[in-house]
Amino acid sequence: MTSTSEIQLRRLSKSFTEGRRRHRVLDDVSADFQRGETIAVRGRSGSGKSTLLNLIGAIDTPDEGRIIVGGVELTGLTERDRTLFRREHIGFVYQAFNLVPTLDVADNIRLVLELNGVPPRESQRRIRELLEAVGLADRAASYPDVLSGGEQQRVAIARAICHEPAVVIADEPTGNLDDSTAEGVLELLDSLVRERGGTMLIATHSARVAAVCDREIEIHGGKLDAPARAPESR
Amino acid sequence: MIPATLRANFSYLLRHPLQLALALLGIGIGVAVIVAVDLANASARKAFLLSMDAITGEATHQVIGGPRGIDESVYVRLRVEHGIRDLAPIVEGAAVIDGASFTVMGVDLFAEQQLRSFTGQARTVGDDDAPGESLFRDFLTRPGTVTMSQATARQLGLQLGQDFELLANGRLHRATLIGLFGEDDDAGLQNLLVADIATAQVWLDSTGRLSRIDARIPDGDDAALSRLESALPDGHRVLTAAGRTRTTAEMSAAFMTNLAAMSLLALLVGLFLIYNSVSFSVLQRRALIGNLRALGVTRGRMFALILSEAAVVGAIASLFGVAIGILLGERLLLLVSQSINDLYFRLTVTDVTIEPWSLAKGVAAGIGASLAAAAVPAIEAMSFPPRLAMARSSLEGRAGRLLPRVALAGLGTMLVAVVVLLVSGRSLVAGLLAVFLLIFGFALCVPLAVRAASSLLAPVASRIGGMLARMAVAGIGQSLSRTGVAIVALAVAVSATIGVSVMVDSFRGSVDKWLQQTLQADVYAGVQRGALAPALLADITALDGVEAFSTSRRVQLEDAGGRTQLIAIRMAPGSYAGTEIIDSDPDAVWPRWEQEDVVLVSEPYAYQHAVAAGDVVQLPTDRGVRAFEIAAVYQSYDINASAMLMSRSVYDRHFDDAGVDSVGLYLQDDADPEAIMAQIGDRSEGRQEIRFNSNARIRELSLEIFDRTFIITDVLYWLAVGVAFIGILGAMLALQLERGRELAVLRAVGMTPSQLGTMITTQTAVIGLLSGIAAVPLGIMMAYVLIEVINRRAFGWQIDMAVAPDILVSAIAFAIGAALLAGIYPAWRAARSQPAAAMREE
Repeated sequence: MTSTSEIQLRRLSKSFTEGRRRHRVLDDVSADFQRGETIAVRGRSGSGKSTLLNLIGAIDTPDEGRIIVGGVELTGLTERDRTLFRREHIGFVYQAFNLVPTLDVADNIRLVLELNGVPPRESQRRIRELLEAVGLADRAASYPDVLSGGEQQRVAIARAICHEPAVVIADEPTGNLDDSTAEGVLELLDSLVRERGGTMLIATHSARVAAVCDREIEIHGGKLDAPARAPESR
Repeated sequence: MIPATLRANFSYLLRHPLQLALALLGIGIGVAVIVAVDLANASARKAFLLSMDAITGEATHQVIGGPRGIDESVYVRLRVEHGIRDLAPIVEGAAVIDGASFTVMGVDLFAEQQLRSFTGQARTVGDDDAPGESLFRDFLTRPGTVTMSQATARQLGLQLGQDFELLANGRLHRATLIGLFGEDDDAGLQNLLVADIATAQVWLDSTGRLSRIDARIPDGDDAALSRLESALPDGHRVLTAAGRTRTTAEMSAAFMTNLAAMSLLALLVGLFLIYNSVSFSVLQRRALIGNLRALGVTRGRMFALILSEAAVVGAIASLFGVAIGILLGERLLLLVSQSINDLYFRLTVTDVTIEPWSLAKGVAAGIGASLAAAAVPAIEAMSFPPRLAMARSSLEGRAGRLLPRVALAGLGTMLVAVVVLLVSGRSLVAGLLAVFLLIFGFALCVPLAVRAASSLLAPVASRIGGMLARMAVAGIGQSLSRTGVAIVALAVAVSATIGVSVMVDSFRGSVDKWLQQTLQADVYAGVQRGALAPALLADITALDGVEAFSTSRRVQLEDAGGRTQLIAIRMAPGSYAGTEIIDSDPDAVWPRWEQEDVVLVSEPYAYQHAVAAGDVVQLPTDRGVRAFEIAAVYQSYDINASAMLMSRSVYDRHFDDAGVDSVGLYLQDDADPEAIMAQIGDRSEGRQEIRFNSNARIRELSLEIFDRTFIITDVLYWLAVGVAFIGILGAMLALQLERGRELAVLRAVGMTPSQLGTMITTQTAVIGLLSGIAAVPLGIMMAYVLIEVINRRAFGWQIDMAVAPDILVSAIAFAIGAALLAGIYPAWRAARSQPAAAMREE
């Protein structure tokens, strides 16, 4: 089968051992996601949303099946190659923000740019632009622990897109935020990713979050119920 | 049933077995070292006292005379003319059999019955059923017959009736084993040979002389004591047997106190470890503690919970430490007894006596240290508000705000240490307490310094190694609740290595310089214990090539106040420069010293007795107690440091002792020392076994003994370093565990395992560097106090402090190496962890 999809999942399975029991989280999952598409991944807690995102983000490996992202077959990569792939092509936004507490705002972004070998002058330019874009130009020298939740998530978004990755993985990005903050953060994330033509997968329980996505898939009993819904408007 | 609150807390520890194991190991080693040193010290002391008790028997007093002992006619007069019973004459000296040292004790079996059982009750050949009967006959009729303990006979591989050779006063003698002490008498009598008094007099070249007369005077019978004292001629004294034993035992007291202090150092480092472990577990459980508080657990109960947990950990670690301590004690005992034999008195001890009190002290120290170390984190746990899972950063923030106050408390503690030093006079224990206060105070200042250093170094690291290096360095200051204590533990351990190394190095340098100055003759010859045969002495000094010679005689003068070593010297022309006069003009001192009733006292003697030039000392001479003016104080690092020098001509006026222990030969310029020594060997062959060496060789041998003395110090501080190493390992593992999610994020955004490993390794290297740097000032301070206070108070030596840069550089390198080694496993573990797994665990 040939496909031009940005992300191709073929018969993916993944299990975890819990105590003496083996729990199959994903069971023979296949799907295609197009370049520039924004997909909401829904499902109950423990349904396998994060696992699916970790597999696509090259953080984890499937027990069976294939994952192709941007034409690269991830399942055949070594640990080091998966790390280098992730570094270059994937951006992450987490529910718990996961900023490095020992680095200030600018350095949290600079870390990813430095890992990608972006020259210092160029890094500085991008950091400035991104912080302006997320409305934190005046907080560049602040450490994460003095920022509000919304501010921290905006830094995390800037960090996720600073190296212009092909795919952004967002795992419950608004889960720790109040409604109004969540709305702002979501809009920001959506607009910045779309501006750059990236593909984004968002794991969420929230119908409001799902509503801003191009389409929605749902994981239930390890299976993918897709496409559950194609949003009517975007 | 265990309360649920307790189970909730304990299950945390059980789920972190590595962390628990490291805490147990740290405090366990600390306790092990304390128990080992205590057991070794106690066993050595007990063996000595047991031996002295056994040898002393029922004797309550001892009559002693001058350097040559007592004329045996004194004993006869006491018994016959004055009718004093319960007396036993003794001739005592050293002998060597197959290279091992033994004590020869010559006794009069008829007199012995009133004082000692083992001497007269030995089982002899063909006398199995009636012990002692044939012993009298054999002792009186067969010269060279001896009895000994069964253990000693086994050690020498001797059977009853077997002949053997022994070396006494430099001469070989033939001896026969004719009896063995009963099993009950064996304790404390190892390495002792009992012979008839006439045999011992021949072997020890003291015909007609006695070493002492043992006496039994009923307790409180002052009249009997007075009668004995008044019956003695001038130059003879009656001392209590217990007092003499105590005086000897006290010679090693300072040595043992210093060892005990070294062992406490290991526990002090272990204390930091427990603090680290408990405070980490509290931080990790902040959510659990918050929840328990919300469910109604009071602050007091929370405090008690954390402390009970520390007490249980401390108790388990202490029991483990006690077990290791007993094993370690056996090894340490060898080193302790070796040092005591080298420095103080002959001691035979092979088995550790397990004293319940020593074990109890170890357990108490372990639990006490655990509780003390856990108190601060327990107070912290009390302060957690209900339900609030505090962010790590805010906890660090709170800790950070406390740092200046902690450092201030540290400065205050150091100030108290200085005050203790200034007001404690000559107390060794107070000096050691001040050292510990100094260490503790300094340790409290370290975290603030580390935070400042981390802030200053982070930009530098960024320029050199980019973001990863910066994160590594900045992370140290930002995780001070973890890294600070690990740095303190390593810094304290390394500072001890610096302090002790500088002290030993300075001491060695001073001793070497002193030896070079003192050993002025080209060749020295002498007998280890005894006197050179006069004819042999005359032959040696008349050898071709000998330009001049000096002689020396070392004797112990003893009175109720203790013992003084007197060295009677006949100086060779030009050899005066070998003795450095400290407080007077040498040109004025030496003529007086040669002619008048004056002495020179060693610097340690002057310190210990608080005397100086111009003071007068009373010495028991053969003419009675005489006053001698101290003409000057001289520098000395002699092992028996508390000594005085008397000119031979003055000595001869006051003592009936022509003996010479050793002779120093000053050779003509063209004489070959090796050829002279060969001639000495030829002349002494078959006459007397003497030792002779060039001055260079004596210097080497002296320094070898010096180095051997400090082996035990090395062992102890390496154990402290081991505890600190575990501290660093534990802290780094704790840090990785706590930063699991952060590290997973770094891996997720593209940091490779090797980059992550490098970052953690860089961090541990910087932790080592900061520890090493912090250890330098503390180490130098410790060295200063050890040299100027502890050594002075313990031994009276004045040492020139010299800080060799290589000691400091190697200490810093060692700290970095230890930290890097401890960081290998945490770095490897972090690098191989899967980001997905770390994320899931969260």
